[in-house]
Amino acid sequence: MSDNIYHRISGKENGVRIESRVLEEKIQQAVADGRRFIEVQAFGQHGIGGRLWRAGDDTVTVRIGGYPGQRVGAMGYANTTVEVLGPASDDVGWLNAGARIVVHGNASNGVANAMAQGKVYVAGNIGARGMTMTKHNPRFSQPELWVLGSVGDYFGEFMAGGVAVVCGVDAQDPENVLGYRPLVGMVGGKVFFRGPIKGFSHADAKLIPIADADHRWLVENLAHFLEAIHRLDLLKSLSERRQWQLLRARSAQEKSGRRLTSMAEFKNQVWDAELGRGGLIGDLTAIERGPIELVPSGEMRRFVPLWENRKYLPPCEGTCPTGIPVQERWQLVREGRVDEAVDLALAYTPFPATVCGYLCPSPCMQACTRQAALMAPVDVKQLGRASIQAHLPELPPLSGKKVAVIGGGPAGISVAWQLRLQGHEAVIYDLSEVLGGKIATLIPSTRIPVDVVSSELERIRKVLPHVHLQQEMRREDFLQLAADYDFVVIATGARKPRILDIPGAERMLTANDFLAAAKHNDARIGKQVVVIGAGNVGCDVASEAFRLGAEAVTLIDVQEPASFGAEREAAEAAGAKFRWPCFTQKIVAEGVKLSDGEILPADTVVISIGDVPDLGFLPETIATERGFVTVNEFGQTSDPRVFAIGDVVKPGLLTEAIGAGRRTAEAIAEMLAGKRPTTNLRQVIDKKRITLEYFDPRLTEFEDLDHCGSQCSSCGACRDCGVCVNICPQAAISRVEPDGGGYEYVVAADKCIACGFCAGACPCGIWNLVENDPID
Amino acid sequence: MPANGTITPSTLSVKDLPWQILWDLDKCTLCGKCTAVCPVNAIELGVFRKRIVEAPLGIAVKPAHTYKVYYGIRQKTDPAYRCVGCAMCSMVCPNDAIAPVRSDEASKLVFHMDRGGQPRRRGGRRNAPGTLLDRIKFIRISMLTDPALDAGRHEFELRTLLGRILPPEENIDFFNRHGWIPPVREIYPLVIGGMSFGALSPNMWEGLQMGVAYLNDELGMPVRICTGEGGCPPRLLRSRFLKNVILQIASGYFGWDEIIHAIPEMKVDPCAIEIKYGQGAKPGDGGLLMWYKVNRLIAAIRGVPPGVSLPSPPTHQTKYSIEESVAKMIQSMYMAWDFRVPVYPKISATSTSLAVLNNLVRNPYAAGLAMDGEDGGTGAAYNVSMDHMGHPIASNVRDAYLNLVALGKQNEIPLMAGGGIGKSGNLAANAAALIMLGASAVQTGKYIMQAAAGCLGSESDRCNICNIGLCPKGITSQDPRLYRRLDIEAVAQRVVDVFLSFDTELKKIIAPLGRSTSLPVGMADALGVDDYHISQRLKIKYVV
Repeated sequence: MSDNIYHRISGKENGVRIESRVLEEKIQQAVADGRRFIEVQAFGQHGIGGRLWRAGDDTVTVRIGGYPGQRVGAMGYANTTVEVLGPASDDVGWLNAGARIVVHGNASNGVANAMAQGKVYVAGNIGARGMTMTKHNPRFSQPELWVLGSVGDYFGEFMAGGVAVVCGVDAQDPENVLGYRPLVGMVGGKVFFRGPIKGFSHADAKLIPIADADHRWLVENLAHFLEAIHRLDLLKSLSERRQWQLLRARSAQEKSGRRLTSMAEFKNQVWDAELGRGGLIGDLTAIERGPIELVPSGEMRRFVPLWENRKYLPPCEGTCPTGIPVQERWQLVREGRVDEAVDLALAYTPFPATVCGYLCPSPCMQACTRQAALMAPVDVKQLGRASIQAHLPELPPLSGKKVAVIGGGPAGISVAWQLRLQGHEAVIYDLSEVLGGKIATLIPSTRIPVDVVSSELERIRKVLPHVHLQQEMRREDFLQLAADYDFVVIATGARKPRILDIPGAERMLTANDFLAAAKHNDARIGKQVVVIGAGNVGCDVASEAFRLGAEAVTLIDVQEPASFGAEREAAEAAGAKFRWPCFTQKIVAEGVKLSDGEILPADTVVISIGDVPDLGFLPETIATERGFVTVNEFGQTSDPRVFAIGDVVKPGLLTEAIGAGRRTAEAIAEMLAGKRPTTNLRQVIDKKRITLEYFDPRLTEFEDLDHCGSQCSSCGACRDCGVCVNICPQAAISRVEPDGGGYEYVVAADKCIACGFCAGACPCGIWNLVENDPID
Repeated sequence: MPANGTITPSTLSVKDLPWQILWDLDKCTLCGKCTAVCPVNAIELGVFRKRIVEAPLGIAVKPAHTYKVYYGIRQKTDPAYRCVGCAMCSMVCPNDAIAPVRSDEASKLVFHMDRGGQPRRRGGRRNAPGTLLDRIKFIRISMLTDPALDAGRHEFELRTLLGRILPPEENIDFFNRHGWIPPVREIYPLVIGGMSFGALSPNMWEGLQMGVAYLNDELGMPVRICTGEGGCPPRLLRSRFLKNVILQIASGYFGWDEIIHAIPEMKVDPCAIEIKYGQGAKPGDGGLLMWYKVNRLIAAIRGVPPGVSLPSPPTHQTKYSIEESVAKMIQSMYMAWDFRVPVYPKISATSTSLAVLNNLVRNPYAAGLAMDGEDGGTGAAYNVSMDHMGHPIASNVRDAYLNLVALGKQNEIPLMAGGGIGKSGNLAANAAALIMLGASAVQTGKYIMQAAAGCLGSESDRCNICNIGLCPKGITSQDPRLYRRLDIEAVAQRVVDVFLSFDTELKKIIAPLGRSTSLPVGMADALGVDDYHISQRLKIKYVV
C-alpha cells in the first residue's frame, strides 16, 4: 500500500512533544475528517489508536512510528487496525473491544490486559502479566493474543476467556516460554504454546490434547498472524502439530473436584504404613477405637441398669427391732394371701398381736418411706391385731439339744420360741406365778385387752410346754442349769425398782407394785397422787390411778419427761399434770417436799424412776457393768455358753427384747450346728430411690388390710407392677419366670441404652443404674 | 431434693443454677436418649403427680378432684450433678424437646463449688469472653501497589524460623570459632500448642497428629505440633513423623525415660524441644492428671504404673535461678540430640518475662521464647488460677519484641505467642495481630479442640469438665465409651481444613500490606486500635 495515502500526524509540534490529549484530538479529528489511513509519529503518547468509532463501518488503519506510550490501541474498535512499527510499551490492547493490533517488535508488561475482543499480534516477546483478565463476550468472537516469542511472568492471570498463542520462536527465556506462575486464577479460554515451560497453576488450568478442530484453527489463524508480522517463512515449521501443547481453564466443577488424597487413603497408605497396624498406639493397646454412636447399647453403654430386688432392706423391716419383714407381709396381702401375711409374723415374734397390734410404738411406721413425703405411714397396727388369728407352723422334731431360759418375759419367751421353731428344746424358769413378764403382770389392761394377751400366751404354751414358774434362782441353781443344758439364756429383765435414798422413802409405793395390784383392781389409791418419774411407766401409773379413783395426779421429773406415745397420751387425756424440773427432798405426811421447800400434796406417792436387774444369782464369770450384763452383738456374755437378752442387758422396748431373743436364738442355733454366728449384712435402702408419686398424698386413714397393702410402696422389693417394662423406651426389659419358680425382670443388653428410666420410674427403688465395667 | 424436706446451706433450686434444663412435655417422646447421653447425670426421669380439681360453675354439683401420674425429664439440683450446659441432650433429642438455657439470674452455684473444702477445679480457660486481640485492626491497606496480591491465588512465603538466627557475619564468625551454629527450623507460623497424651484422648491425639502429618506430606505445609507434657507414643518417636513434633519437657518429666530409650532408634530428629516452665492458663501450677484418667495406655506412655494421680510440680525442682534454669536445661536438652535440635523455653506470660528474655539473649543456644498468656486453655486447673492469674499476651509479646529491638536482636531470637488466640473464633486475625506485634509464631490449643473436634467449652462457663474424664465429645476422656465418639480421621480432616482456611485468612490480612515474601513480624505500623490507652501501651496507632 502506497505510503502517500497516509495522513501523517506528528507527536511533536515546533520541536516540542505534544500532550497525549492533543494528539488524541488530532487523530480523532482526522478520522472525523474522513481520513482512513493515519500514520502517527509517536513520542510516548498514551493510548494511540483506540476509540476510533467516528469512522463507523469504515476500516481505519493507524500506523505508529517512533515511540508509542502505554496502552496502544486501548479500547480499540473493530473497525481499527493498529500497527506499531517497532516495540511497544505496557498494556498494548488494553480493554481492546475489537481492534487488530500488530506490534512488530517486543511489547512490555500487561499486553492485552482486560481485552474482550479483537486480536493482538506481537512479533517478539512480551513482558509480565500478558493476557490477564481477558474475557470472551458471547455476543462477539473471542479475543486473541499471538506472541511469536515467549511471555513474561504471571501470564494469563485471572484469564476469563479468549485464546493466547505463544510460538516460542527466539524466546527470551528458551527454558520457559510461559514465564513464572502462569494462569493463576484462570477461569476461561485456551493457551496454545510451543516450547518448554516450568509449570502453571494446576488448580486453575489443565493440559488437554489438541483436537483436530483446534489444530485446524491454529494453522489457519497462524497464517494470518505470520502474514501480519511478515514471517510467513515460519508457517511450515510452526504448523507442526506435535510441537504444540494446549492448556485450557478448568471449569468450576473441575476446580471444586480438585483431587486430594482422602484422609482414609492417607491413613491407610501413609499413616499406618509408617507407624504400623493400629496406628499411633497399635503396639500399646488392642482396644477397638473406631467411632461409635452417641447413645449406644450393649457393651459401649456407660451405665447398666441392675434389678436389685431385695438387695436392701425396706426401712420398716430394717427398723423393726424384732426384724419382722413388714413389707413382705403387705406384699402377701396385695397378692390376696392375707392368711400367710398374718401367719408369717409367728416366725419372728410370739406376740404379733400383743406387741405389733397394741403395745409397740411401731418404729416401722415411723421409718415408713411415706413419712418422708409427709404421707400417712402404712398402718401396721391393723396387721398386728389381725395376727391374733395367726396359725402356728408345724413344729420340727426336737434335736435333743436343750437350752435353759431364765425369765419368762418377752425376751425369754422370744428366745425359747425361736429355739423351738428351730427344733431345739427350750425350758423356761421364771419367778412369777404367770408366764409373760411385764406384759402379763404390769401393763394396764386399758392398753391391751386381756384376752389378746391370754390368747397369745396360750399359743406360746403350745409351743413351749416346759415352763417352770415360781422358781427362785440362786447361784447354785444357775450353775446347775449351766451344767445341765447346752446353753443358758438369762432373760430375767429389770424387776428391782430403783428407789430414792431420802427421808420418808418408806412412804412411797413402787410403780411395779402399784401396777401389779392395779391389774387385779386391788390397788388402794388416794385422791391426790404424785408420781416421781414421768416416764412411760409413770404415765401408766397415772392412768391406772385415775381409773382407780384418783382425782389429781401430778408427775414430776428432774428433767423434761421422756414419756411418749400411747402411754403419755392416755395419761394426759385422763388429766395428769406434768411438772419439771422438780428435785425431791423428802416424803412427808402431807406429800412430796421439793428441794425449794414446796410441798406437793399427796395421799399416795408412787416412785417410777426405772428398774434394775437383780443379778444376785450370777457367778463372777459373767461380766456385768453398772448392774447390767455385758454382751456382744449376739447377746453372748463373757461365758460363751451363757447369753443374756432384754432389760437385763439394757432397758428397752418390748420389741427390742423380742428381737434380742430372736437374734440370740439364731446365734445359738448356728453354734449348735457347729457354725460361727452371723449377722444380717443387708443395709436399709436409700429412701430417695423410692417413688411415692404413685400414691394419693391426701390419704390419712386406711380402710382395711387390702387398702394398707395397696398403699405400701414396697421399698426395695419388687411389687411386680411392670412399670419398668412399659417405661423402657427400648423395650429392653422383660419379665421372666425361671424354672426354679418366682419371677425376675431382665434387661436385654443389646437393646438397653442405659437411660435410667427404669430406675427413675420404679416405685420400689429396685432398679439401679451403675457404671459399666471399665474398658482398659 | 424432695419437695418438702429439710435444707442445707447448699440446697439449691433450679433457679439458682447457672444452666437450667428447659423441657417440653408436649414434644418429649420419652426416648431416654437425653438422660443416656448426659455426661454428668444432671437429668433423670421424673415421675410427676398431677392433681386436677374440678368445681363446676355455680357449684351445682360437688367439686371433685383426681390425680394422674405423668413422666418427664427432671433436672437435679444437687451441685454434684449440676448441668454444665453442654447441650448433648439437645443434640440427641429427636423432637427438640430439651435444651439447657443460661439462667437470667446470677448463679448461686458458684458459692457452693467447694464441697469438702476443695476449691473448684475445671478445664477450659478464663471465663471472660472476648480478647483484646479482637479489637486490633489491620489499618494499612496498600491497594495500589504492584503487584497487588490475591490471597487465594498468589504465592506467599508464610514460613517462620524457629531457632537462634545470628546475623550472617556473626554466623560465619561463630561457625569459624565454634565449628557449630545453632540449628534453625523453617516452620509454619501457627503451631498446635502442647496438649498431652492424657489430657487428650488417644483418638484426639492421633487425629491431631494425623492431620499435621497430612498437612506436611500432602500439602507441603510444615505445621508443627507440641506434645505437651506426658510423653510421646513410642511408635511416633520412631517414625518419620517425629519431624512434625515439638517434644515438651516439663517439671514432671513424664515419659522422658521412654523418649531417651527411643533416641537411638529415631529415624528423624524432632522439630524442637520445648521446656515448659509455665503455662498461661494456670501460672505457677503444674499438671493435674488425676488417677482415674491414668489407664494402662497413659501409664505406658508416661512410664508410670496405672491408676496413680500424676500431678506435676509447679517448677522444675533442681533449678534455683533464671540463669541456671535456662542454661542448664537448654544445654541438657541440646546434648540429647547432639546439638541438632533447637531448644526453647515456654513460660507463662508474666510481668517478669523480660528477665527471662534477657537471659536468653545472652545464651546463644536459646532457640526462642514461647510466652503463654492468661487466656490459654487447660485440661485441669484450679478455677482461681484460670480466672485470676496470668498476664495478657499482647502487651507481653510487644514488650519482649521492643526489648529485642532496643538490643538490636529482633527476629534473632524468635518469640512464640500463645494464650487465647482464636478465643472468639478469629484465629487468623488474632495470630496476625500477635505476629505484627512481634511474635514469630503463635501457638494454639483450645481453638484446635473447638474447631477440629467440636469442643463445646466456652468462656461462658459452658461444659469445662475436661478434668473429670467425662468430655461429652471424647476429646479429653480416657474412656473408650466416650473417646470413640471422636472419629480419628474426621479430626485429622478438620485439622487440615482449619490450617487451609487459616492460611487463606492470614494471606487475606497480609496481602493488602503488600507482603508476600516474609511474615510481617513486628510490622506494628499496620495495626490500629480504637482505645487510646491500648494504643499507647502497645505502641500502635490509635484509630477511631
